[in-house]
Amino acid sequence: MKPSEVRFEDLIGKVVRNPYGRPIGRIEDVRVEPDGEDYLVTEFLLGPMERWSRVLAFIGELTTLRALGIGKERRLRPFPWHWIDLTDPARPRLEAEWAERAERAERAERAEEAE
Amino acid sequence: MSKLLEIALGLVTGIGGFLEAGSLSTSAQAGAAFGFQLVWPIVLGTVCIAFLVEMGGRLAAVSRHTLPDAMRERFGVRFFSVVLVAVVLVSFLVLASEIGGISLALQLATGIRFQWWAPVVALAVWLLLWAHNFGLVEKGASLLGLVTLVFVVAAFRLHVPVNELGAHALPSLPQHDGARYWFMAVSIIGASVSPYLFYFYSAGAIEDEWDESYLGVNRVIAGIGMGFGGGIAVAVLAGAAMVFHSRGIQIDRYEQIPLLLAEPLGRWGFILFVASLGIACFGAALEIALQIAYLVAQGFGWKWGENLKPSEAARFTLVYTIAILLAGLLIFTGIDPLKLTIFSMALTALSLPITVVPLLILMNDPQYVGEHGNHWIANAAVLFISIVACIVAVVAIPLQLLGGS
Amino acid sequence: MELGHAVLDQQVRDRKGELMGKVDGIVLELRGSKAPRVARLVIGGGTAARRIHPRFADWLLGWRRRWGPKDDQPVEIPWSQVLKIGIDVKVDLDAERTSAWAWEAWVRDHIIGRIPGA
Repeated sequence: MKPSEVRFEDLIGKVVRNPYGRPIGRIEDVRVEPDGEDYLVTEFLLGPMERWSRVLAFIGELTTLRALGIGKERRLRPFPWHWIDLTDPARPRLEAEWAERAERAERAERAEEAE
Repeated sequence: MSKLLEIALGLVTGIGGFLEAGSLSTSAQAGAAFGFQLVWPIVLGTVCIAFLVEMGGRLAAVSRHTLPDAMRERFGVRFFSVVLVAVVLVSFLVLASEIGGISLALQLATGIRFQWWAPVVALAVWLLLWAHNFGLVEKGASLLGLVTLVFVVAAFRLHVPVNELGAHALPSLPQHDGARYWFMAVSIIGASVSPYLFYFYSAGAIEDEWDESYLGVNRVIAGIGMGFGGGIAVAVLAGAAMVFHSRGIQIDRYEQIPLLLAEPLGRWGFILFVASLGIACFGAALEIALQIAYLVAQGFGWKWGENLKPSEAARFTLVYTIAILLAGLLIFTGIDPLKLTIFSMALTALSLPITVVPLLILMNDPQYVGEHGNHWIANAAVLFISIVACIVAVVAIPLQLLGGS
Repeated sequence: MELGHAVLDQQVRDRKGELMGKVDGIVLELRGSKAPRVARLVIGGGTAARRIHPRFADWLLGWRRRWGPKDDQPVEIPWSQVLKIGIDVKVDLDAERTSAWAWEAWVRDHIIGRIPGA
């Protein structure tokens, strides 16, 4: 493992915090796209903070529960790769310049859900 | 092979392979203790396993993944290892129960105590797998397993009141001995919904290279195969009710159960009982040992296959070798095979949510089953039965242990 | 595509279609101002154990050092050698030439192979 390298499986589950230390979400997955010979990371996909709601998300996928009206599709929030600072891979941070944008997006999403 | 032939073979395997140590002992004990009352757990369990086996086949045919393979991929190695440990533990105890059953059958036939037979039985099971021609062995064992139909014959000879049986297909409350009643109900469900059945069936569908065109065949085999198999279990319960319950005799030793067949069928009944017990348990032991090996090998991406030479799939072979060795050892210690069997069945019921929910999630994931996902009724039925069985098991098992089995 | 969803824990097959193991780990290369790139896949060597729990991995590795093949290194597959990602991950390698089957060979030579009829 070179110093510039990081294990993908270690990133999963890590909490991403904004510059003020507030937790934004947990890294659930990473989207990659081909770029010539390479595959490059385009987005980090973040899921909910609480572990139990991640479990519930799994179970909510059962069509039974959906038919009953409980459980919804598991939605992960995409964050462009350059928004996340991985200098300390154990403690990913939202880059300061994007923090406000992320906050606005989150508020908009919550308002949408409330409708 | 034509689809019709496949269906026929699948049905034979399903029917002949349904009864084993678990369903035999739990049904017999329940019939002796509560008469016809506990038909409903057999019905519930059979419906549940029919759904699950069909799902296992569908998953294999559409996704081209075996169940352990798909589980690891979908849920990651951490969750998979939890399921792995749970299923291997429970399956191991059931494997030991089957070896116990075969050993008991030999004891009944020869008079030599079952524990001395355990090493011989373990060796025989292992040798048949070592010979790596499992397709033949499985079909042979299942064909011979049709001997268990003798229980149906016996039930007719005993003039079992079929309408009374039917009346108890729906759940009812116990009139006496509540703790024991629910413990038995849960054990019966655990005996019917054994994970090894759908894991093994799923691996078989992959080995036979099933694709979407087999979905109809799959449904027929699962539904009718398991259905008829459940019918044999009902026949065992009914026979036990007629022979034991009417006389107020409880079954607490394997040696009593042959009376179930000996009374209506005389000496032949006894012989056929020994044959049924031995053959049914033998077939199950082979499948469970393989299924444990499949689970480990497929979960970790090792080479696997029932028709590969041992040196071609060394780790896979090692897993089933160790499983059979330890299971044989357990029976050799002289532990009561009947108690072990009943207890493993209750434990199976307890672990149902862990073994079943991952499969359900996969069956609703278009990534794996495309447009052939589960109907919500199937999800609801299986989920409901599994969760209720687990909850009842949580209460009933400690009560049974405290009350003394 | 999503890395965790499509690649991690998938079955790996070599160029002959043989089963090589599962993708236990993926290494990303961080490049500062450039997007991180997928560097390689990792199979075995305690990688999966580490994901279950690091202490478990330590215990396992200690035990593996005393027993088992000398060549117990994880298989590192550069991303450039990944041919196709579908039902499984196909790679442009010969499993025999990697350490993917080190344990398989060890079990075969020391245990299973010693029993007649293997």
